Amino acid sequence: MADAFFGTDLFSDLERLQQQMTGLFGGFPSSIRAGRFGAFPPINVGATDESIEIVAFAPGIKQENLEVSIDRGLLTISGERHAVWQADMPEARRYAQERFVGSFRRVIELPEGADPDKVQAKYANGCLSVSVGRREASKPRAITVN
Amino acid sequence: MNETTQVAQRNDGPMAQRHEDQATSTMTLVPAVDIVEDKNGVTLWADLPGVSREKLQVNVNDGTLHIDAEAVVPMPADLRVQHAEIRQPHFARSFVISADLDPTQIQAQLQDGVLKLIIPRRDEARPRRIEIKIS
Repeated sequence: MADAFFGTDLFSDLERLQQQMTGLFGGFPSSIRAGRFGAFPPINVGATDESIEIVAFAPGIKQENLEVSIDRGLLTISGERHAVWQADMPEARRYAQERFVGSFRRVIELPEGADPDKVQAKYANGCLSVSVGRREASKPRAITVN
Repeated sequence: MNETTQVAQRNDGPMAQRHEDQATSTMTLVPAVDIVEDKNGVTLWADLPGVSREKLQVNVNDGTLHIDAEAVVPMPADLRVQHAEIRQPHFARSFVISADLDPTQIQAQLQDGVLKLIIPRRDEARPRRIEIKIS
């Protein structure tokens, strides 16, 4: 019956699309502690020769509800986001509730050379940026060939 | 709000993903929103992390509200990306504004990457108690 309307098998098309998407995102090996894809907050990780840069896209969180800690090479970003609407508003009707509400925790495994004493964290425009310095010994250096 | 109100939840099922895929093909992300209506109008909150006021555009055209934003996160120039869950720093989403809402009176606030839009109801569309005279 569905074929009469759609001509082709819609679900196999969707499945193919989903596989393509997974292939697109599957390029990076993911950590065993990474959690499911789509967890809050989304995190980007990058590296330079000097540092490891982590950005968590966590808008609308008060600074006192946001916690960053480093323990044995694990960077943990945790906190809580409160709902913006009040349940006791008179005659209020809620049409959409897509934004994340509740407590969250994300863990990032830092590479071997990360220095837990050189960490800077900044929260601006709803983005938490954490910069972790590298130990001198782990910085890349050019090796002269004799 | 009562228990029977249907709340639109962000659906992570396979049918909802088609919408997300379309969004990536146009190179934008669809920001998550909360929408609440009370007797004064509709209030909308949208997650726009990394968006500053200069990079945000909210406009109403032909009864459609457009939110267009770009996230800018300062990063060192020689950064090598290792893991990215947000790849496109562009956010876009549109809503049709019904005739009982007043698009000329929209108030917008952006704080900590959350946009709050207050779209008031037109004065003539506000609920009113009508007195019934008994003749």
